[in-house]
Amino acid sequence: MIALESVTKRYGAKTIIHDMSFTVEKGEIVGFLGPNGAGKTTTIRMIAGYTTATSGRVTVAGFDMATQNVEAAREIGYLPEHPPLYDILDVAAYLRFVAKVKGVSRTEMAAELERVTAACHLEDVFRREIFKLSKGYRQRVGLAQALLGKPQVLLLDEPTIGLDPAQIHETREAIRSFGEGHAVLLSTHILPEVTMICRRVAIINRGRLLAIDTPEGLRQAVERTNQVALQATAPADALRQELLSVDGVNAVQMDPAPGDAGRLSVECKVDARDGIEAAIARVVAGRWELHGLERREPTLENVFLHYVHAAPVVEKAA
Amino acid sequence: MSSVLALYQKELWHYFRSPIAYFVVAVFMLGTGYFFTYNIFYTGIASMAGTFQNMGILLLLVIPVVSMRLFSGEYSAGTMELLQTLPLRPWQVVLGKYLGAVTILLLMTSATLIDLVPLYLFGDPETTTIAAGYIGFVLLGMACLAIGQFFSALTENQIVAALITVSVLVAFWFVGHLQSFQTSYVLYALFGYLSFSGQFGAFVQGLVRSEAVLFYLIVCAIALTLNASYLQWRR
Repeated sequence: MIALESVTKRYGAKTIIHDMSFTVEKGEIVGFLGPNGAGKTTTIRMIAGYTTATSGRVTVAGFDMATQNVEAAREIGYLPEHPPLYDILDVAAYLRFVAKVKGVSRTEMAAELERVTAACHLEDVFRREIFKLSKGYRQRVGLAQALLGKPQVLLLDEPTIGLDPAQIHETREAIRSFGEGHAVLLSTHILPEVTMICRRVAIINRGRLLAIDTPEGLRQAVERTNQVALQATAPADALRQELLSVDGVNAVQMDPAPGDAGRLSVECKVDARDGIEAAIARVVAGRWELHGLERREPTLENVFLHYVHAAPVVEKAA
Repeated sequence: MSSVLALYQKELWHYFRSPIAYFVVAVFMLGTGYFFTYNIFYTGIASMAGTFQNMGILLLLVIPVVSMRLFSGEYSAGTMELLQTLPLRPWQVVLGKYLGAVTILLLMTSATLIDLVPLYLFGDPETTTIAAGYIGFVLLGMACLAIGQFFSALTENQIVAALITVSVLVAFWFVGHLQSFQTSYVLYALFGYLSFSGQFGAFVQGLVRSEAVLFYLIVCAIALTLNASYLQWRR
Protein backbone atom coordinates (compact mmCIF):
# COMPACT_ATOMS: atom_id res chain seq x y z
CA MET A 1 0.00 0.00 0.00
CA ILE A 2 2.86 2.33 0.80
CA ALA A 3 6.11 2.06 -1.10
CA LEU A 4 9.21 4.23 -0.97
CA GLU A 5 11.87 3.66 -3.60
CA SER A 6 15.25 5.32 -2.99
CA VAL A 7 13.60 8.44 -1.69
CA THR A 8 15.84 11.41 -1.02
CA LYS A 9 14.73 14.78 0.28
CA ARG A 10 16.93 17.83 0.20
CA TYR A 11 16.23 21.32 1.47
CA GLY A 12 18.78 23.49 -0.26
CA ALA A 13 22.16 21.88 0.29
CA LYS A 14 20.96 19.93 3.30
CA THR A 15 19.90 16.34 2.80
CA ILE A 16 17.16 15.40 5.23
CA ILE A 17 16.35 11.92 3.93
CA HIS A 18 18.97 9.70 2.30
CA ASP A 19 17.99 7.05 -0.21
CA MET A 20 15.17 5.51 1.82
CA SER A 21 13.25 2.46 0.65
CA PHE A 22 10.61 0.40 2.40
CA THR A 23 7.06 -0.80 2.01
CA VAL A 24 4.03 -1.15 4.21
CA GLU A 25 1.52 -3.81 3.18
CA LYS A 26 -2.18 -3.93 3.73
CA GLY A 27 -3.10 -5.32 7.12
CA GLU A 28 0.13 -4.42 8.82
CA ILE A 29 1.12 -1.78 11.32
CA VAL A 30 4.65 -0.54 10.92
CA GLY A 31 6.27 1.43 13.68
CA PHE A 32 8.50 4.25 12.62
CA LEU A 33 11.10 4.73 15.28
CA GLY A 34 13.82 7.30 15.58
CA PRO A 35 15.19 10.05 17.81
CA ASN A 36 13.92 13.60 17.42
CA GLY A 37 15.10 15.14 14.19
CA ALA A 38 15.73 11.76 12.55
CA GLY A 39 13.46 12.56 9.62
CA LYS A 40 10.30 10.74 10.72
CA THR A 41 8.00 13.69 10.15
CA THR A 42 9.57 14.58 6.79
CA THR A 43 9.17 11.02 5.58
CA ILE A 44 5.56 10.85 6.69
CA ARG A 45 4.88 14.21 5.05
CA MET A 46 6.23 12.89 1.78
CA ILE A 47 3.99 9.84 2.02
CA ALA A 48 1.03 12.06 2.87
CA GLY A 49 1.75 14.24 -0.15
CA TYR A 50 2.34 17.41 1.84
CA THR A 51 5.79 17.69 0.40
CA THR A 52 7.50 15.93 -2.49
CA ALA A 53 10.65 13.84 -2.67
CA THR A 54 13.68 15.45 -4.32
CA SER A 55 14.44 12.14 -6.00
CA GLY A 56 13.07 8.63 -5.82
CA ARG A 57 9.44 7.58 -5.82
CA VAL A 58 6.72 7.45 -3.21
CA THR A 59 3.61 5.49 -4.11
CA VAL A 60 0.50 5.11 -2.01
CA ALA A 61 -2.29 2.73 -3.07
CA GLY A 62 -0.67 2.62 -6.49
CA PHE A 63 -0.63 6.39 -6.97
CA ASP A 64 2.58 8.31 -7.51
CA MET A 65 2.62 10.97 -4.81
CA ALA A 66 4.57 13.38 -7.01
CA THR A 67 1.82 13.70 -9.59
CA GLN A 68 -1.30 11.90 -8.36
CA ASN A 69 -1.35 13.08 -4.77
CA VAL A 70 -4.95 14.29 -4.97
CA GLU A 71 -6.19 10.91 -6.22
CA ALA A 72 -4.16 9.17 -3.53
CA ALA A 73 -5.44 11.53 -0.83
CA ARG A 74 -8.80 9.77 -0.86
CA GLU A 75 -7.04 6.63 0.35
CA ILE A 76 -4.97 8.35 3.02
CA GLY A 77 -5.88 9.27 6.56
CA TYR A 78 -3.20 11.49 8.01
CA LEU A 79 -2.67 12.72 11.53
CA PRO A 80 0.22 15.20 11.47
CA GLU A 81 2.49 15.81 14.42
CA HIS A 82 0.36 18.79 15.45
CA PRO A 83 -3.28 17.95 14.90
CA PRO A 84 -4.47 20.32 12.16
CA LEU A 85 -7.59 21.72 13.80
CA TYR A 86 -9.71 24.80 13.25
CA ASP A 87 -10.05 26.13 16.77
CA ILE A 88 -13.08 28.19 16.04
CA LEU A 89 -15.20 25.35 14.69
CA ASP A 90 -16.93 22.84 16.91
CA VAL A 91 -15.91 19.20 16.62
CA ALA A 92 -19.00 18.32 14.57
CA ALA A 93 -18.46 21.11 12.04
CA TYR A 94 -14.78 20.31 11.72
CA LEU A 95 -15.34 16.62 11.12
CA ARG A 96 -18.17 17.35 8.71
CA PHE A 97 -15.89 19.66 6.72
CA VAL A 98 -13.16 17.03 6.41
CA ALA A 99 -15.70 14.32 5.58
CA LYS A 100 -17.22 16.40 2.79
CA VAL A 101 -13.85 17.11 1.25
CA LYS A 102 -13.01 13.42 1.47
CA GLY A 103 -16.14 12.72 -0.52
CA VAL A 104 -18.37 11.21 2.15
CA SER A 105 -21.86 11.46 0.71
CA ARG A 106 -24.77 13.20 2.35
CA THR A 107 -26.54 9.92 3.06
CA GLU A 108 -23.52 8.33 4.74
CA MET A 109 -22.49 11.46 6.61
CA ALA A 110 -24.30 10.86 9.91
CA ALA A 111 -23.18 7.23 10.15
CA GLU A 112 -19.60 8.10 9.27
CA LEU A 113 -19.39 10.86 11.86
CA GLU A 114 -20.87 8.54 14.44
CA ARG A 115 -18.36 5.85 13.59
CA VAL A 116 -15.24 8.00 14.05
CA THR A 117 -16.70 9.77 17.06
CA ALA A 118 -17.23 6.43 18.76
CA ALA A 119 -13.83 5.09 17.72
CA CYS A 120 -12.10 8.11 19.25
CA HIS A 121 -14.47 8.57 22.20
CA LEU A 122 -15.53 12.08 21.27
CA GLU A 123 -19.24 11.82 22.09
CA ASP A 124 -18.96 14.17 25.06
CA VAL A 125 -17.33 17.00 23.14
CA PHE A 126 -19.08 16.61 19.80
CA ARG A 127 -20.74 20.04 20.00
CA ARG A 128 -17.90 21.84 21.73
CA GLU A 129 -15.63 24.36 20.03
CA ILE A 130 -12.19 22.92 19.45
CA PHE A 131 -10.32 25.72 21.21
CA LYS A 132 -12.04 24.66 24.45
CA LEU A 133 -10.69 21.11 24.27
CA SER A 134 -7.82 19.63 26.26
CA LYS A 135 -4.73 18.37 24.52
CA GLY A 136 -5.88 14.77 24.70
CA TYR A 137 -9.19 15.58 23.07
CA ARG A 138 -7.49 17.64 20.38
CA GLN A 139 -5.27 14.71 19.57
CA ARG A 140 -8.30 12.45 19.31
CA VAL A 141 -10.20 14.89 17.09
CA GLY A 142 -7.12 14.81 14.85
CA LEU A 143 -7.23 11.04 14.84
CA ALA A 144 -10.98 11.01 14.11
CA GLN A 145 -10.35 13.30 11.15
CA ALA A 146 -7.78 10.85 9.79
CA LEU A 147 -10.26 7.97 10.00
CA LEU A 148 -12.98 9.74 8.04
CA GLY A 149 -13.79 8.27 4.66
CA LYS A 150 -12.38 4.85 5.60
CA PRO A 151 -8.95 5.37 4.05
CA GLN A 152 -6.85 2.31 3.23
CA VAL A 153 -3.68 3.93 4.49
CA LEU A 154 -3.24 5.57 7.87
CA LEU A 155 -0.28 7.79 8.63
CA LEU A 156 -0.05 8.67 12.30
CA ASP A 157 2.69 10.99 13.49
CA GLU A 158 3.01 10.46 17.24
CA PRO A 159 -0.65 9.68 17.83
CA THR A 160 -0.49 9.09 21.57
CA ILE A 161 1.44 12.20 22.49
CA GLY A 162 -0.35 14.33 25.05
CA LEU A 163 -2.77 11.63 26.11
CA ASP A 164 -3.22 10.31 29.62
CA PRO A 165 -2.49 6.62 30.28
CA ALA A 166 -6.11 5.55 29.91
CA GLN A 167 -6.46 7.42 26.65
CA ILE A 168 -3.15 6.04 25.40
CA HIS A 169 -4.48 2.57 26.06
CA GLU A 170 -7.73 3.28 24.21
CA THR A 171 -5.96 4.90 21.30
CA ARG A 172 -3.57 1.98 20.95
CA GLU A 173 -6.46 -0.43 20.98
CA ALA A 174 -8.16 1.66 18.31
CA ILE A 175 -5.01 1.72 16.16
CA ARG A 176 -4.54 -1.99 16.60
CA SER A 177 -8.06 -2.56 15.34
CA PHE A 178 -7.44 -0.36 12.27
CA GLY A 179 -4.40 -2.48 11.50
CA GLU A 180 -6.67 -5.20 10.22
CA GLY A 181 -7.43 -4.28 6.67
CA HIS A 182 -5.43 -1.05 6.61
CA ALA A 183 -1.81 -0.20 6.07
CA VAL A 184 -0.71 1.80 9.10
CA LEU A 185 2.52 3.70 9.53
CA LEU A 186 2.94 4.97 13.05
CA SER A 187 5.75 7.22 14.10
CA THR A 188 6.66 7.34 17.74
CA HIS A 189 9.52 7.49 20.13
CA ILE A 190 7.70 5.53 22.78
CA LEU A 191 9.33 2.12 22.51
CA PRO A 192 6.83 -0.07 24.36
CA GLU A 193 4.14 1.27 22.05
CA VAL A 194 5.93 -0.26 19.12
CA THR A 195 6.32 -3.67 20.72
CA MET A 196 2.68 -3.63 21.69
CA ILE A 197 1.03 -2.82 18.41
CA CYS A 198 3.44 -2.98 15.50
CA ARG A 199 4.11 -5.96 13.34
CA ARG A 200 7.29 -4.46 11.96
CA VAL A 201 9.57 -1.69 13.09
CA ALA A 202 11.58 0.71 10.98
CA ILE A 203 14.42 2.41 12.79
CA ILE A 204 15.70 5.62 11.28
CA ASN A 205 18.32 8.13 12.30
CA ARG A 206 19.84 11.10 10.51
CA GLY A 207 17.53 10.53 7.58
CA ARG A 208 18.64 6.96 6.94
CA LEU A 209 16.71 3.76 7.35
CA LEU A 210 18.90 1.65 9.62
CA ALA A 211 16.77 -1.44 9.97
CA ILE A 212 13.28 -2.69 9.26
CA ASP A 213 12.06 -5.98 10.65
CA THR A 214 9.73 -7.52 13.19
CA PRO A 215 10.58 -6.54 16.78
CA GLU A 216 11.65 -10.16 17.25
CA GLY A 217 13.84 -10.14 14.17
CA LEU A 218 15.54 -6.94 15.27
CA ARG A 219 16.21 -8.43 18.65
CA GLN A 220 17.83 -11.48 17.13
CA ALA A 221 19.94 -9.33 14.90
CA VAL A 222 21.50 -7.68 17.89
CA GLU A 223 21.74 -10.72 20.11
CA ARG A 224 25.39 -9.96 20.57
CA THR A 225 24.34 -7.32 23.02
CA ASN A 226 23.28 -10.26 25.21
CA GLN A 227 24.65 -9.90 28.65
CA VAL A 228 24.94 -11.82 31.86
CA ALA A 229 25.24 -9.67 34.95
CA LEU A 230 26.36 -11.06 38.28
CA GLN A 231 27.66 -10.04 41.65
CA ALA A 232 30.32 -12.04 43.43
CA THR A 233 32.87 -11.66 46.21
CA ALA A 234 36.13 -12.74 44.62
CA PRO A 235 39.60 -11.53 43.62
CA ALA A 236 39.17 -9.51 40.46
CA ASP A 237 41.93 -11.00 38.28
CA ALA A 238 41.19 -14.59 39.10
CA LEU A 239 37.47 -14.06 38.50
CA ARG A 240 38.08 -12.41 35.15
CA GLN A 241 40.32 -15.25 34.01
CA GLU A 242 37.84 -17.86 35.11
CA LEU A 243 34.94 -16.12 33.40
CA LEU A 244 36.80 -15.69 30.12
CA SER A 245 37.62 -19.36 30.13
CA VAL A 246 33.93 -20.18 29.87
CA ASP A 247 33.02 -21.00 26.28
CA GLY A 248 30.81 -18.24 24.85
CA VAL A 249 31.91 -15.40 27.10
CA ASN A 250 33.44 -12.72 24.93
CA ALA A 251 34.21 -9.87 27.28
CA VAL A 252 34.09 -9.12 30.94
CA GLN A 253 33.74 -5.81 32.64
CA MET A 254 33.88 -5.48 36.42
CA ASP A 255 33.44 -2.74 38.96
CA PRO A 256 33.44 -2.79 42.74
CA ALA A 257 29.83 -3.20 43.88
CA PRO A 258 28.71 -0.20 45.93
CA GLY A 259 28.55 -0.57 49.68
CA ASP A 260 30.15 -3.97 50.18
CA ALA A 261 33.96 -4.25 50.28
CA GLY A 262 35.33 -7.04 48.12
CA ARG A 263 32.11 -7.55 46.23
CA LEU A 264 32.31 -7.10 42.45
CA SER A 265 29.66 -6.18 39.99
CA VAL A 266 30.38 -7.98 36.74
CA GLU A 267 28.95 -7.76 33.25
CA CYS A 268 29.80 -10.41 30.69
CA LYS A 269 29.13 -10.03 27.02
CA VAL A 270 28.06 -13.45 25.85
CA ASP A 271 27.04 -15.34 22.75
CA ALA A 272 23.37 -15.99 22.45
CA ARG A 273 23.00 -19.62 23.44
CA ASP A 274 21.08 -21.55 26.03
CA GLY A 275 22.66 -22.58 29.28
CA ILE A 276 25.42 -20.03 29.26
CA GLU A 277 24.32 -18.39 32.48
CA ALA A 278 24.31 -21.85 34.13
CA ALA A 279 27.89 -22.45 33.00
CA ILE A 280 28.98 -19.10 34.39
CA ALA A 281 27.16 -19.74 37.66
CA ARG A 282 28.90 -23.11 38.01
CA VAL A 283 32.33 -21.63 37.50
CA VAL A 284 31.87 -18.78 39.95
CA ALA A 285 29.92 -20.58 42.69
CA GLY A 286 32.45 -23.44 42.67
CA ARG A 287 35.24 -21.20 43.99
CA TRP A 288 33.74 -18.02 45.36
CA GLU A 289 30.60 -16.52 46.77
CA LEU A 290 27.97 -15.73 44.10
CA HIS A 291 25.36 -13.18 45.21
CA GLY A 292 23.20 -13.07 42.15
CA LEU A 293 23.12 -13.60 38.44
CA GLU A 294 20.80 -12.60 35.65
CA ARG A 295 20.65 -12.93 31.91
CA ARG A 296 19.76 -9.66 30.18
CA GLU A 297 17.77 -10.10 27.00
CA PRO A 298 18.13 -7.26 24.55
CA THR A 299 15.10 -5.02 24.95
CA LEU A 300 13.80 -3.00 22.06
CA GLU A 301 15.46 -0.10 23.77
CA ASN A 302 18.83 -1.80 23.47
CA VAL A 303 18.07 -2.65 19.88
CA PHE A 304 17.16 0.93 19.19
CA LEU A 305 20.24 2.33 20.88
CA HIS A 306 22.37 -0.25 19.13
CA TYR A 307 21.23 0.92 15.72
CA VAL A 308 21.11 4.60 16.46
CA HIS A 309 24.58 4.65 17.97
CA ALA A 310 26.11 2.37 15.40
CA ALA A 311 24.91 4.61 12.59
CA PRO A 312 27.77 6.19 10.71
CA VAL A 313 27.98 9.89 11.32
CA VAL A 314 28.11 11.45 7.90
CA GLU A 315 27.95 15.20 7.85
CA LYS A 316 28.16 16.43 4.34
CA ALA A 317 29.79 19.78 3.89
CA ALA A 318 27.30 22.31 2.61
CA MET B 1 -17.07 21.32 -6.94
CA SER B 2 -18.48 19.88 -3.72
CA SER B 3 -15.02 20.17 -2.15
CA VAL B 4 -14.93 23.85 -3.09
CA LEU B 5 -18.35 24.23 -1.53
CA ALA B 6 -17.23 22.46 1.66
CA LEU B 7 -14.25 24.77 1.94
CA TYR B 8 -16.44 27.77 1.20
CA GLN B 9 -18.76 26.76 4.01
CA LYS B 10 -15.84 26.32 6.37
CA GLU B 11 -14.64 29.80 5.45
CA LEU B 12 -18.03 31.29 6.23
CA TRP B 13 -18.06 29.53 9.61
CA HIS B 14 -14.73 31.12 10.24
CA TYR B 15 -15.95 34.60 9.42
CA PHE B 16 -19.15 34.39 11.41
CA ARG B 17 -17.85 32.47 14.40
CA SER B 18 -15.10 35.01 14.91
CA PRO B 19 -15.48 38.77 15.14
CA ILE B 20 -13.95 39.38 11.69
CA ALA B 21 -17.12 39.57 9.60
CA TYR B 22 -19.01 41.69 12.12
CA PHE B 23 -16.06 43.98 12.68
CA VAL B 24 -15.35 44.50 9.00
CA VAL B 25 -18.96 45.16 8.10
CA ALA B 26 -19.42 47.50 11.05
CA VAL B 27 -16.28 49.50 10.34
CA PHE B 28 -17.13 49.71 6.68
CA MET B 29 -20.69 50.88 7.35
CA LEU B 30 -19.44 53.44 9.82
CA GLY B 31 -16.85 54.81 7.42
CA THR B 32 -19.18 54.83 4.46
CA GLY B 33 -21.94 56.41 6.54
CA TYR B 34 -19.60 59.20 7.54
CA PHE B 35 -18.44 59.90 4.00
CA PHE B 36 -21.98 59.68 2.71
CA THR B 37 -23.35 62.25 5.16
CA TYR B 38 -20.38 64.50 4.62
CA ASN B 39 -20.67 64.40 0.82
CA ILE B 40 -24.42 64.95 0.80
CA PHE B 41 -24.33 67.92 3.13
CA TYR B 42 -21.26 69.37 1.45
CA THR B 43 -22.55 69.19 -2.13
CA GLY B 44 -26.29 69.07 -1.60
CA ILE B 45 -26.57 66.77 -4.60
CA ALA B 46 -28.35 63.44 -4.46
CA SER B 47 -25.40 61.49 -5.87
CA MET B 48 -23.19 58.67 -4.66
CA ALA B 49 -20.19 59.71 -6.79
CA GLY B 50 -18.13 61.25 -3.99
CA THR B 51 -19.09 58.48 -1.58
CA PHE B 52 -18.01 55.79 -4.04
CA GLN B 53 -14.57 57.40 -4.36
CA ASN B 54 -14.20 57.40 -0.60
CA MET B 55 -15.50 53.85 -0.37
CA GLY B 56 -12.76 52.84 -2.78
CA ILE B 57 -10.05 54.24 -0.53
CA LEU B 58 -11.68 52.73 2.55
CA LEU B 59 -11.68 49.41 0.73
CA LEU B 60 -7.88 49.50 0.38
CA LEU B 61 -7.66 49.42 4.17
CA VAL B 62 -10.48 46.98 4.89
CA ILE B 63 -9.61 44.33 2.30
CA PRO B 64 -6.28 43.40 3.90
CA VAL B 65 -8.08 42.75 7.20
CA VAL B 66 -10.26 40.21 5.43
CA SER B 67 -7.56 38.71 3.22
CA MET B 68 -4.59 38.55 5.59
CA ARG B 69 -5.69 35.42 7.42
CA LEU B 70 -6.76 33.46 4.36
CA PHE B 71 -3.53 31.52 4.05
CA SER B 72 -1.28 32.98 6.75
CA GLY B 73 -3.77 31.79 9.34
CA GLU B 74 -3.75 28.28 7.88
CA TYR B 75 0.03 28.17 7.95
CA SER B 76 0.36 29.30 11.55
CA ALA B 77 -2.41 26.99 12.78
CA GLY B 78 -0.79 24.04 10.97
CA THR B 79 -4.01 23.44 9.07
CA MET B 80 -2.35 23.98 5.70
CA GLU B 81 -0.99 20.49 6.24
CA LEU B 82 -4.58 19.28 6.32
CA LEU B 83 -5.67 21.23 3.24
CA GLN B 84 -2.68 20.04 1.24
CA THR B 85 -3.15 16.39 2.15
CA LEU B 86 -6.91 16.24 1.66
CA PRO B 87 -8.21 15.41 -1.81
CA LEU B 88 -8.13 19.07 -2.81
CA ARG B 89 -6.36 20.60 -5.77
CA PRO B 90 -4.68 23.94 -5.24
CA TRP B 91 -7.21 25.74 -7.44
CA GLN B 92 -10.02 24.30 -5.33
CA VAL B 93 -8.43 25.63 -2.15
CA VAL B 94 -7.88 29.01 -3.76
CA LEU B 95 -11.39 29.20 -5.15
CA GLY B 96 -13.14 28.07 -1.97
CA LYS B 97 -11.33 30.64 0.09
CA TYR B 98 -11.80 33.35 -2.47
CA LEU B 99 -15.55 32.79 -2.72
CA GLY B 100 -15.77 33.05 1.05
CA ALA B 101 -13.94 36.36 1.02
CA VAL B 102 -16.07 37.66 -1.85
CA THR B 103 -19.16 36.81 0.17
CA ILE B 104 -17.92 39.10 2.93
CA LEU B 105 -17.25 41.78 0.32
CA LEU B 106 -20.82 41.47 -0.98
CA LEU B 107 -22.14 41.64 2.55
CA MET B 108 -20.10 44.76 3.22
CA THR B 109 -21.29 46.30 -0.01
CA SER B 110 -24.94 45.51 0.55
CA ALA B 111 -24.74 46.98 4.05
CA THR B 112 -24.05 50.37 2.44
CA LEU B 113 -27.33 50.16 0.51
CA ILE B 114 -28.93 51.61 3.62
CA ASP B 115 -27.44 54.97 2.60
CA LEU B 116 -29.66 54.91 -0.47
CA VAL B 117 -32.80 55.12 1.63
CA PRO B 118 -32.49 58.83 2.50
CA LEU B 119 -31.11 59.49 -0.97
CA TYR B 120 -34.29 58.21 -2.61
CA LEU B 121 -36.50 59.61 0.14
CA PHE B 122 -35.32 63.18 -0.14
CA GLY B 123 -33.80 63.36 -3.60
CA ASP B 124 -34.04 62.00 -7.09
CA PRO B 125 -30.77 60.13 -7.76
CA GLU B 126 -29.89 58.40 -11.03
CA THR B 127 -30.44 54.74 -10.41
CA THR B 128 -28.33 53.52 -13.35
CA THR B 129 -25.34 55.62 -12.28
CA ILE B 130 -25.56 54.23 -8.76
CA ALA B 131 -25.88 50.69 -10.08
CA ALA B 132 -22.79 51.21 -12.27
CA GLY B 133 -20.92 52.50 -9.22
CA TYR B 134 -21.83 49.42 -7.22
CA ILE B 135 -20.78 47.11 -10.05
CA GLY B 136 -17.43 48.90 -10.22
CA PHE B 137 -17.05 48.78 -6.48
CA VAL B 138 -17.62 45.04 -6.29
CA LEU B 139 -15.20 44.44 -9.17
CA LEU B 140 -12.60 46.63 -7.50
CA GLY B 141 -13.12 44.75 -4.23
CA MET B 142 -12.79 41.39 -5.96
CA ALA B 143 -9.49 42.42 -7.55
CA CYS B 144 -8.17 43.71 -4.21
CA LEU B 145 -9.21 40.48 -2.45
CA ALA B 146 -7.50 38.31 -5.05
CA ILE B 147 -4.30 40.32 -4.57
CA GLY B 148 -4.60 40.15 -0.79
CA GLN B 149 -5.23 36.41 -0.88
CA PHE B 150 -2.12 35.86 -2.98
CA PHE B 151 0.09 37.81 -0.59
CA SER B 152 -1.43 35.98 2.34
CA ALA B 153 -0.17 32.73 0.79
CA LEU B 154 3.39 34.03 0.78
CA THR B 155 3.84 34.49 4.51
CA GLU B 156 2.96 32.84 7.77
CA ASN B 157 2.65 36.24 9.43
CA GLN B 158 -0.76 37.83 9.05
CA ILE B 159 0.50 41.32 9.83
CA VAL B 160 3.16 41.06 7.15
CA ALA B 161 0.55 39.83 4.69
CA ALA B 162 -1.70 42.78 5.53
CA LEU B 163 1.10 45.34 5.22
CA ILE B 164 2.28 44.03 1.85
CA THR B 165 -1.30 43.97 0.61
CA VAL B 166 -2.00 47.55 1.71
CA SER B 167 1.20 48.75 0.03
CA VAL B 168 0.42 47.00 -3.23
CA LEU B 169 -3.21 48.14 -3.25
CA VAL B 170 -2.25 51.73 -2.50
CA ALA B 171 0.32 51.56 -5.29
CA PHE B 172 -2.31 50.33 -7.75
CA TRP B 173 -4.73 52.99 -6.56
CA PHE B 174 -2.34 55.89 -7.05
CA VAL B 175 -0.28 54.61 -9.98
CA GLY B 176 -2.35 56.82 -12.29
CA HIS B 177 -0.68 59.89 -10.81
CA LEU B 178 2.59 58.84 -12.43
CA GLN B 179 0.98 59.61 -15.76
CA SER B 180 1.80 63.32 -15.45
CA PHE B 181 5.53 62.61 -15.44
CA GLN B 182 5.62 60.39 -18.50
CA THR B 183 7.02 61.51 -21.83
CA SER B 184 6.56 58.14 -23.55
CA TYR B 185 3.01 57.39 -24.59
CA VAL B 186 3.35 53.68 -23.82
CA LEU B 187 4.13 54.31 -20.16
CA TYR B 188 1.46 56.98 -19.98
CA ALA B 189 -1.14 54.56 -21.29
CA LEU B 190 0.14 51.74 -19.11
CA PHE B 191 -0.08 53.73 -15.87
CA GLY B 192 -3.53 54.88 -16.83
CA TYR B 193 -4.59 51.33 -17.56
CA LEU B 194 -3.20 49.88 -14.34
CA SER B 195 -4.77 52.56 -12.17
CA PHE B 196 -7.41 50.99 -9.92
CA SER B 197 -8.85 54.41 -9.18
CA GLY B 198 -8.83 55.40 -12.84
CA GLN B 199 -10.70 52.27 -13.93
CA PHE B 200 -13.08 52.68 -11.01
CA GLY B 201 -13.70 56.34 -11.85
CA ALA B 202 -15.54 55.42 -15.04
CA PHE B 203 -17.98 53.25 -13.09
CA VAL B 204 -18.62 56.06 -10.63
CA GLN B 205 -19.50 58.31 -13.57
CA GLY B 206 -22.08 55.72 -14.56
CA LEU B 207 -20.11 53.97 -17.30
CA VAL B 208 -19.85 50.20 -17.28
CA ARG B 209 -17.16 49.71 -19.92
CA SER B 210 -16.43 46.12 -20.87
CA GLU B 211 -12.77 47.12 -21.00
CA ALA B 212 -12.80 48.12 -17.34
CA VAL B 213 -14.81 45.06 -16.29
CA LEU B 214 -12.31 42.92 -18.13
CA PHE B 215 -9.43 44.74 -16.46
CA TYR B 216 -10.59 43.86 -12.96
CA LEU B 217 -11.44 40.29 -13.94
CA ILE B 218 -7.98 39.87 -15.45
CA VAL B 219 -6.38 41.13 -12.25
CA CYS B 220 -8.44 38.56 -10.30
CA ALA B 221 -7.49 35.78 -12.69
CA ILE B 222 -3.79 36.61 -12.57
CA ALA B 223 -3.67 36.88 -8.78
CA LEU B 224 -5.65 33.68 -8.22
CA THR B 225 -3.59 31.75 -10.76
CA LEU B 226 -0.38 32.91 -9.11
CA ASN B 227 -1.92 31.90 -5.79
CA ALA B 228 -2.69 28.36 -6.96
CA SER B 229 0.66 27.94 -8.71
CA TYR B 230 2.43 29.04 -5.58
CA LEU B 231 0.60 26.42 -3.51
CA GLN B 232 1.52 23.78 -6.06
CA TRP B 233 5.13 24.89 -6.13
CA ARG B 234 5.34 24.97 -2.35
CA ARG B 235 5.07 21.20 -2.15
